[in-house]
Amino acid sequence: MKKGILPAMLIVTAVLLVSSAAVRTVAAADYPDIGPLPERKAPNPKTVELGKALFFDARLSGDAAISCATCHNSEQGFTTRMPLSEAYPGSKHWRNSPTLLNIVYKGKMHGWDGRLDDLDDMLRDMITDSMNMNMDMQLMQERLKQDPKIVALTKEAYGDKNMGTSQKGEMTHYVARNALIQFLETLTSKNVPFDKGALSEKAKKGMELFKGKAGCIQCHNGTYFSDVKPHNTGVPENPEIFNDPQRHFTYVAYMMFMGVDDRMNWRRDVGYYTLSKDRNDVGKFITPTLRELKYTAPYMHNGVFGSLDEVIDFYNAGGGQDRPGMKDPAVTPLGLTAGEKEALKEFLLSLSGDPVAFEMPKGVTVEYQPLPDWKNMKN
Amino acid sequence: MQSFKQYFNAGSGLRSKIFMVLFTVLLLTMSSTVLAGGDPDMDPPLAPLPDYPSIPTDNPSGKNVYPSKMDKKQDLGYLLFFDPKISGDTGISCADCHDPKMGWGFADPISRGYPGTVHWRNSQTAVNSGYLNKIFWEGGTTSLESQAPAAAEGALAGNGSKDMMESRLRFTPEYVKRFKDVFGTEWPNIEHAYDAMAAFERWLSQTDTPFDRFMKGDKNAISAKAKKGMELFQGKANCFECHNGPMFTDEKFYDIGVADPPEFLEEGINQVSFRYQNYAKGSTEESYRTAKSDHGIYFKQKRAEDRGKFRTAPLRYTKYTAPYMHNGTLFTLDEVVDFYDKGGEIDRWGNKSKIMKPLNLTKEEKGALVEFLLTLSGEEIRLPVPKVPDYAPMADWQPKK
Repeated sequence: MKKGILPAMLIVTAVLLVSSAAVRTVAAADYPDIGPLPERKAPNPKTVELGKALFFDARLSGDAAISCATCHNSEQGFTTRMPLSEAYPGSKHWRNSPTLLNIVYKGKMHGWDGRLDDLDDMLRDMITDSMNMNMDMQLMQERLKQDPKIVALTKEAYGDKNMGTSQKGEMTHYVARNALIQFLETLTSKNVPFDKGALSEKAKKGMELFKGKAGCIQCHNGTYFSDVKPHNTGVPENPEIFNDPQRHFTYVAYMMFMGVDDRMNWRRDVGYYTLSKDRNDVGKFITPTLRELKYTAPYMHNGVFGSLDEVIDFYNAGGGQDRPGMKDPAVTPLGLTAGEKEALKEFLLSLSGDPVAFEMPKGVTVEYQPLPDWKNMKN
Repeated sequence: MQSFKQYFNAGSGLRSKIFMVLFTVLLLTMSSTVLAGGDPDMDPPLAPLPDYPSIPTDNPSGKNVYPSKMDKKQDLGYLLFFDPKISGDTGISCADCHDPKMGWGFADPISRGYPGTVHWRNSQTAVNSGYLNKIFWEGGTTSLESQAPAAAEGALAGNGSKDMMESRLRFTPEYVKRFKDVFGTEWPNIEHAYDAMAAFERWLSQTDTPFDRFMKGDKNAISAKAKKGMELFQGKANCFECHNGPMFTDEKFYDIGVADPPEFLEEGINQVSFRYQNYAKGSTEESYRTAKSDHGIYFKQKRAEDRGKFRTAPLRYTKYTAPYMHNGTLFTLDEVVDFYDKGGEIDRWGNKSKIMKPLNLTKEEKGALVEFLLTLSGEEIRLPVPKVPDYAPMADWQPKK
């Protein structure tokens, strides 16, 4: 080593240490404040009714075997209890199914890697992607037009609109996606202690930690409790992805679809790199909301943590491991006491409201009846 | 043209006039022959099949057909043909709609389709498809290499996506080994899978039917009744007008006036597929809203005169491929012969071919015709269903890089 380099390195290291220590002192005022969710305009009940029917309708998938509710189960917080999600038959997913609760507040960067800009994009992708519902949108449209109940409901809900058609009130795939979005509008938190200002003393202490010592607010901020930006916190890989060839090939197929290089050799989920193709973005995932997390375990993009305690321990330890320079500098050891961890957990649980009560639509079927007078009717 | 005029001007007035009259008569005679198409000599003669189909230079394979031993590429294609990894949900393989037990086609009038759907046309046999230049009922693809992806990826057929199917092959050690052996690639490639399937289908040819043996000189290979039928085929029944050459098809397009199948009236799921195809293939709004019958090759160029036209079907292996026609409305060869004897059923769009007219065949003549048609099929081709290979975790068989 050349003379003079060592002292220079020591100085650089010292500067780095000082700057990282500075990050540790979180100033909550630097971030959009947490707070109750704003009210949204109530959607038309008829469009919601149509969207709800479609949400549970397996005719929206290629082989009519799964519906949106298969991976976003209304009885399991609109996600599933499994670390890694179900997928279209013949494939298996390599990521955790995120909740749909409050998704209308997210506004952008849907999916764990943030590749989908808005809810219409998100729905188009979920319905047509080969690992999700593998559906031809035009075939979906014709299937729905075959059901007199759906046709009647569409007329009631969209009778004054024509979306992707010359006919007012006609079912099209545009209408189907719009109705699903209207249904998602109803999947919002209800009766949340935090929103009502009904926090216990312990939870209040947890909120203080959230905004201060624990530094959660650096990424989990705003009323949605997410900055909706990509971060690498060093979450360990879920080995199941690479031990199960079906999950592995589903992931490889996705990388092919997204144009990721070297796809046969990656042994980790590259996350936001899928979009940016910048090596510094490997392992970054969009910050998830913390609302309704009482119902959405297991946690993280790959479901590696089964409980909130595990998640808090993970952050208390300063997140996980990655190559130098890859991890977000916001994630550092927190030195929380057992009591502080309990308080933090209490606060996190106060972000969940009543379970979204739900009556399943009746008469969902994948059978088709012939249309009367088919020979003479207009298609 | 200049020299043509000079030639006439050079002659005396009378001589050139006589010559022009004769010349015009000659031209009229020739063109009327062409228009009527009545002269069998103008069509490719019936002939035995060549020993093997022509093999494209960019997808070489063995010059051998059933029942000889397959080469490595054909054998790989055989395995892939039966492997449901080549579909959207791994629920269906090529062999489900082209089933060896159903003449390498499907025995319903309208083919089964991808799970959750039905198809909208009759499934055609894969046997001898290597000899065709126009594939599908619209003749829309010109090679087996391009037929395979159209079927594997079509929403009513395989509904597979290239990314997913290729990835599945890459996690199947048996395929990694065999693709490397056949194509020299590190990892299986979906386009190569289609190439291998095409090579297998070229192998799946039948060149030793009674008809072929007869044409090659074995005068006893077909019965006297069949010989009579062959005469009718090329004469009074006029089948030969369109069903000519060694494959018994001119690969041209005709509306022969086939009636609509009852499925579209009676089954909701068939109505779904019918509308979907009309929408997805591209129609005018007027056409989409009013279509109740299959428009055939209309979808290609949207010309009114193309409505209801389909590519002439080959007649080989038809002993095993009932039901018949693009929509499977005729269940036996007897019904087919009766259909032509009547001159077709229906003229929906004024496009029905002028070739179609009542034939006034006697019962004996019809019987002879069917007897001849049956000589175009040899023994039924049955192959064992191969055991398809399994996936394996990559760590078990690939060194980590």
